[in-house]
Amino acid sequence: MSHNIPENLKYTKEHEWTLIEGDTVTIGITDFAQSSLGDIVFVELPEEGASLEINSAFGVVESIKSVSDLYSPLSGEVLQANGDLEGAPEMLNTDPYQNWIVKIRMTNTEELDQLMTPSAYLEHCNSLN
Amino acid sequence: MELLKTILHQKHCDLGAKMAPFAGFDMPIQYTSVKDESLAVRNSSGVFDVSHMGEFLVKGADAVKFVDFIVTNDFLNAGNLKAVYSPLCREDGTVIDDLIAYKLKEDEVLICVNASNIEKDWNWIFSKTEGFDITLENQSDKTSLLALQGPDSEKILKELGLIPREDFTYYSVGFSKFEDSEVLIARTGYTGEDGFEIFCPNESITVLWDKLLDLGVTPCGLASRDVLRLEVCYPLYGHELNDELTPLDANLKWTVKESKPKFIGKEKLSGHSSKYRLAKLSLDKGIPREGYSVLNLDGKTIGYITSGTHSVVLGKGICLAHIERDAWPESKEFSIEIRNRVFPATYHTKPFVTGGHK
Repeated sequence: MSHNIPENLKYTKEHEWTLIEGDTVTIGITDFAQSSLGDIVFVELPEEGASLEINSAFGVVESIKSVSDLYSPLSGEVLQANGDLEGAPEMLNTDPYQNWIVKIRMTNTEELDQLMTPSAYLEHCNSLN
Repeated sequence: MELLKTILHQKHCDLGAKMAPFAGFDMPIQYTSVKDESLAVRNSSGVFDVSHMGEFLVKGADAVKFVDFIVTNDFLNAGNLKAVYSPLCREDGTVIDDLIAYKLKEDEVLICVNASNIEKDWNWIFSKTEGFDITLENQSDKTSLLALQGPDSEKILKELGLIPREDFTYYSVGFSKFEDSEVLIARTGYTGEDGFEIFCPNESITVLWDKLLDLGVTPCGLASRDVLRLEVCYPLYGHELNDELTPLDANLKWTVKESKPKFIGKEKLSGHSSKYRLAKLSLDKGIPREGYSVLNLDGKTIGYITSGTHSVVLGKGICLAHIERDAWPESKEFSIEIRNRVFPATYHTKPFVTGGHK
């Protein structure tokens, strides 16, 4: 299985990607995640303004067969949730990096150390195959 | 314990299927996408390797009488070369398994059972043979089984010259010659669409599989099979049926023929009122899953979901749920609790999808 792992992003063990721009962090699921899940048919998003703690569940992605929690890669406050996904969850399958899930304002920059580089994430994915 | 493999196991791996354990076998769950595989069966044709299922052959002068005695449905009066769906019950009415019995000859019956119950069924059936002039053979290990399903199935089987005879209607069964093997063809299935199940000796199954794929049939995994059966509201053992419940708990009263003079479970099931009724519910938002609670208008839990999924045809969540008979709301207003939130459900009197079976 080959993985599309863009170089400009940071990753988590739970197969989420993060794009860090100042204190704004855009979060989505990786190509590995969407491919493992299969046909994604439902996304449950957090409320805007909700405060998230690192590693806490903030939403749900469901494929036909499975229910998976989304875990927050960082602590912060939800600035925006991608409401387009509610009507078209399959967009996470077609382009998981274009179709982000939430944007948050991070509140603890020290947590950034816990994110994985693209090469560390690639290694993580390979260890699962 | 090491997982068992069907003869086609390597074929599935070569096709890149996602494999997972099911009933002790390493089975293909999906090849490409559950959605595409489900739609192939609804719109054209798909093939499932269901060789993990069990086959018992009953032979002898009392074969038909014996099978009629152990099942709740009427097998005695079924026509020759016809199949009958039935629960297999204990004396107390609880369900051991559900099965299809095929009347091959006056003195020969094939029984096809769920893979997860082969040993339990065998032990039960074997223990009931006393006094009947029959022999019982477990053919599961030497028999492979393909389910060719979808509106194009007939055309495809014709192309292979495998339709046993004219007037081969729904639930008919017959023999055909494939390669050097005798194969048993039945117009049965688990998708609600027209289709055939092909019982084939292990030696010829690979050639048959390849030929079907060459003719453009889509290989389909067990995940799409579950979506398809749930869309047409067919029960699945271990979900709607189990060791603690009777067929009546799964709205299968039509398979319990109280008028039959004698069958196992008759006394208990006759005039019996079930603990549950099975409700068909859908959700506009969210996906109902097995084990979720079903609530009435007052927010009281009155049942639980036995099977739930996302319907590919309807594009929304569907489920079957056991509702306590005593708590059945006359208004038929139900809601479903998902992650501590309550969503109103739509009650359906008919299956979610009308299959095109003939």
